[in-house]
Amino acid sequence: MRMILNEMKKILTWRMLTFLLLVNTVLYFLLISFDIEYFPNGRPALDGYRLGIEMIEEYGVKMDEEDMLDFSRQYKSLKKEADEYLQARPEFAAAGLENYEKLITSDWNNEEQQKLSNQIFHEEQVDLFWELQERSRLMEFHDMKEMIGFEANALQQKRFDELLAEGKYQAYSEVVIQNFKDFIVHVGITVLFSVVLLISPFILKDRTRRLLDLQYTAKVGRNLYKTKLIAGILSAGMVITVLLAFYFSLYAQNGTSPYFGLGVNAFIANLTWYDPTFLQYIWLCILAIYVIGIIFTMLAMTVSSVVPNFVTLIGIQIPLLFVMLLVGFKILLSHIISVQSPQWLVPCLYGLLSIVSAGLLIYLIRREKLRDILE
Amino acid sequence: MYECRKVIQSPIFLGLFLLFSVYNIYLIVSSSDHKEELKIVNELIDTYGRDISDTSLAQLDQDIQQEMTQLKRSAGLEFQSVHELLENMSLEEQEAYSQEHWNQIQQLAVKEMYFNTARSIDESYAGIDIQATGEGEVRMYGLSGSSASYLLQEYEKLDKRFEELVKNGEQKQWFFAGKAYFMHSFLFQTVFRHIIIESLLLIVLATALITAYEFEQKTQLLTFSTKRGRKLMKDKFSASIAIAVATMILLLGITLGTFFIVFDYSHVWSTSISSAFNWEYNFPYIAWWDISVGTFLWLAAGMVLAGGLLMSCLTFALATVVKNSYIAFAGIALFFVAVLLLPSFMSKSSILFFITGYNLSQLLLGISNSFMGGGLTGSRNYEWLTVSCWTLIAAGICFAAYRRFTKTDIG
Repeated sequence: MRMILNEMKKILTWRMLTFLLLVNTVLYFLLISFDIEYFPNGRPALDGYRLGIEMIEEYGVKMDEEDMLDFSRQYKSLKKEADEYLQARPEFAAAGLENYEKLITSDWNNEEQQKLSNQIFHEEQVDLFWELQERSRLMEFHDMKEMIGFEANALQQKRFDELLAEGKYQAYSEVVIQNFKDFIVHVGITVLFSVVLLISPFILKDRTRRLLDLQYTAKVGRNLYKTKLIAGILSAGMVITVLLAFYFSLYAQNGTSPYFGLGVNAFIANLTWYDPTFLQYIWLCILAIYVIGIIFTMLAMTVSSVVPNFVTLIGIQIPLLFVMLLVGFKILLSHIISVQSPQWLVPCLYGLLSIVSAGLLIYLIRREKLRDILE
Repeated sequence: MYECRKVIQSPIFLGLFLLFSVYNIYLIVSSSDHKEELKIVNELIDTYGRDISDTSLAQLDQDIQQEMTQLKRSAGLEFQSVHELLENMSLEEQEAYSQEHWNQIQQLAVKEMYFNTARSIDESYAGIDIQATGEGEVRMYGLSGSSASYLLQEYEKLDKRFEELVKNGEQKQWFFAGKAYFMHSFLFQTVFRHIIIESLLLIVLATALITAYEFEQKTQLLTFSTKRGRKLMKDKFSASIAIAVATMILLLGITLGTFFIVFDYSHVWSTSISSAFNWEYNFPYIAWWDISVGTFLWLAAGMVLAGGLLMSCLTFALATVVKNSYIAFAGIALFFVAVLLLPSFMSKSSILFFITGYNLSQLLLGISNSFMGGGLTGSRNYEWLTVSCWTLIAAGICFAAYRRFTKTDIG
């Protein structure tokens, strides 16, 4: 135990922690800050977000036909309000925009009408009109709820029908879940880079300093290698925990907690193989980040144990990180239960990656016992 | 020379280089579905000349009409334009055509599209209001004070250049239709960004390897006490530069070679880069000078070389100071991203918002918009000022790092 602590002290040096702080500052401003500062990003995203909360309060986490009827009744009464609003302003009637219907179907070539509609939507940003737009979009979605919306294969179609039969169809604005998916991928990237940068050098460092000659002739001897690996995984786990805690405390500013009880399939365009609630989905993603982080920690330690110098250490990991950036995070993190990939793919990938990375380490532990350290 | 071998003989360097080359080739080949359609432009240039004039357009119109009547007769169809024909066609009807007929229809449709765009050049260029675009930009970024007036001034200059461009008729030359194929963005943004990021990774790794080699092999006590001693750093510097140049030329050569084998550019080399067909988004590309596609390519490649060399110099300086290739690599990567973000931390009302944009990261990643007006880095002097400023900075830093190294403690 004491050995593990001492090894961890060698990994989590003040120098390294300062460096990680720098890396995280840069990556935060490059990737994450946008998802937090600009949520909801303009309109009608803001209205989708507000309306979603209102819907959950009024109808709960499931919209049935009765709820939908009430929803469209509200739409009609709001529309009447909008008509009254327009009639109260003579300039709109003069331009031939005496009611809401005419406002949204206004003529693109009529400059006067465009100016007025621009005024109401963009300059004055009247909430009522934006909300009506969003409501009508949601109602359109409801009318088309029996259409899957993309070219589905047999299994995807089956899953879709299954959900529909349970009365779970896409009814709530996708703003919140989209924002979370962007956020979690960006957090995943930041965490991965931090962990890889932290863990990569430490085994190689001992070797190039010829520390092994000393360590392996001491009483603990070659078992120390195992201690180092455990120390590496524990340090990575600690860093992941701290970073996740920090970034999720920032995410709390987005105020998405009213949505936590909603099933993820209730969001528009978010068909998934399983139907956890939004909160469960968040926990799943957090777990996924831990697993990805530990897998890459093990890979980094493997590479660190075999390469001759730092440049090779970085060079080998560049393609791995590239693959993660290009496709990995999408499949393994934000679309972890999405129907976009076959149901078996994601678990298989996780299994394969874990087996490969753990297998390599076990091989290295065995090799370390017999290796000629003088070579 | 022996210093160069340290890089050439390390398998990881060659491995990464091969991997990057293969990936680039894959990237180009996998997005080449439309390469046959592009050849129509070559045909147009051959038949009607590079410049679009009223007479050559009339000729083209006539030829299209002729082909259309031919088609109507042989297929027994009645239509006003091919566009209309295709729009009203169902999938079954499509399959009823013979391969030959279908190709002919497709070809005609493309030609018609080029003709329609060419015909409306004057009209669409008359609709461009550069000053208003500038004002829109100021609003979009929320600029005020000196930065706003600076940007508006730039747009005023661009307006003059735009008038000159229209007067010269630079826009009236055939090029691949931008709105349909996005060839400019594909080549100078997608492909070039790949080349830039890959070669930067290789260069920074190679430079860090060469510079910190002795310290990582623990041979510094021996090497730097020889007669050549610390002057060895000068050789290391030259070796890094040589490797950097070789890497970039090879990577550029392989990637661009593939690109031009796949896409036939042979006829459009001397078309102006500001051609009206090179209009992809809301705004056509308006270069500050009358440069052709070929010249633009050379300039872009030159900027990649300059940027890569400067990054190599900076890496050399950092690696000399920290004597560790891992920290040097990570430090340079951090620096690259940090200066990219730097302008966004500046006050929107201060001219610093623009000055901090004069950095290598912005220059290299925005290469498809270089020498072009408009946008935040659209100043006429942007490119050469950035490169020369950073040459001075890099030279200063390198010199200081070397001076410091000659006196530093080696142990």
